[in-house]
Amino acid sequence: MQSADGPVSLSDYRGKVVAMYIGYSACPDVCPTALAIMRQAFVSLPPEQQPFVAGLFVSVDPERDTPEKLKTYTQFFHPALTGVTGTKSEIDEVVALYGAFYRRIEMEDSAMGYAVDHSSRIYLIGPQGKLRNTISHNASPIELIEALQALLPSS
Amino acid sequence: MRKLLIAALLCQSTFALADIVVSEPYARAVPHGQLNSAAFMTLKNSGNKAVDLISASSPAAEHVELHTHSNVDGVMQMRQINKVTIEANHTTILKPGGHHVMLIGLQQELNEGDSIPMTFTFSDGTTQEKQLPIKFVMPMNMDHSKHTEQSTEHKHTH
Repeated sequence: MQSADGPVSLSDYRGKVVAMYIGYSACPDVCPTALAIMRQAFVSLPPEQQPFVAGLFVSVDPERDTPEKLKTYTQFFHPALTGVTGTKSEIDEVVALYGAFYRRIEMEDSAMGYAVDHSSRIYLIGPQGKLRNTISHNASPIELIEALQALLPSS
Repeated sequence: MRKLLIAALLCQSTFALADIVVSEPYARAVPHGQLNSAAFMTLKNSGNKAVDLISASSPAAEHVELHTHSNVDGVMQMRQINKVTIEANHTTILKPGGHHVMLIGLQQELNEGDSIPMTFTFSDGTTQEKQLPIKFVMPMNMDHSKHTEQSTEHKHTH
């Protein structure tokens, strides 16, 4: 998958706990809420743990979301958040890997043109690169903090 | 004194006719370059008849539509709706994750601390203009003050 700063792979994050969300930036509501939860959790972690967490926002709307746009979008929430997207087959592979779902819906009477229905979960990937936990997008930041800390290697 | 009172009553008369009170409206702050945002608010109907919010408009966006979100088996679906009904003596809250006023094709940046005007049109023929502060929307359950206010408001309606 591509970010504004080059290709991104989960293996780049070995040793870190990654919170990943699959959505799209034109999503007015649930996606920014999930990213705001991540921001809140990241800034609430003790400073010594902060370098060991990262966030990934995977856009399933490459038509509207260029890597540059995703960078501006994710940086608005937190510097540890990276926005990535890819070709349809790359996206489909990631979506299938995590048991996620998305579907483009034409909105005939809306100026939006189309929306993207999508499953809405925060995936927590452990320092070894394996999916360890999933959290609902309307979880509290405290739940996310606890889930992140449970996966951080005890120092 | 009496004149003042009458003047005050006259000033309020247009609002007194409307059964809907729009309170705590706000719009979501969005990153630079974002084309869309959403606005949320509390709509209280003190009348004996259901009233619909049928449209909204704002110079801040090319299009303003009413949308809703629903969670169908874990899949979030956003759809346009043609009205938001506020039942008689009820309060309807437009909030993240549910009904919202969608701003499409933003004509300006929505930075925290700014505000934008919005005009609401209701099925009883009334319109109201409000100034919406732009807020960075925090996750619900961290924003304690807002949460308490909303639950109190909710209780009054039952």
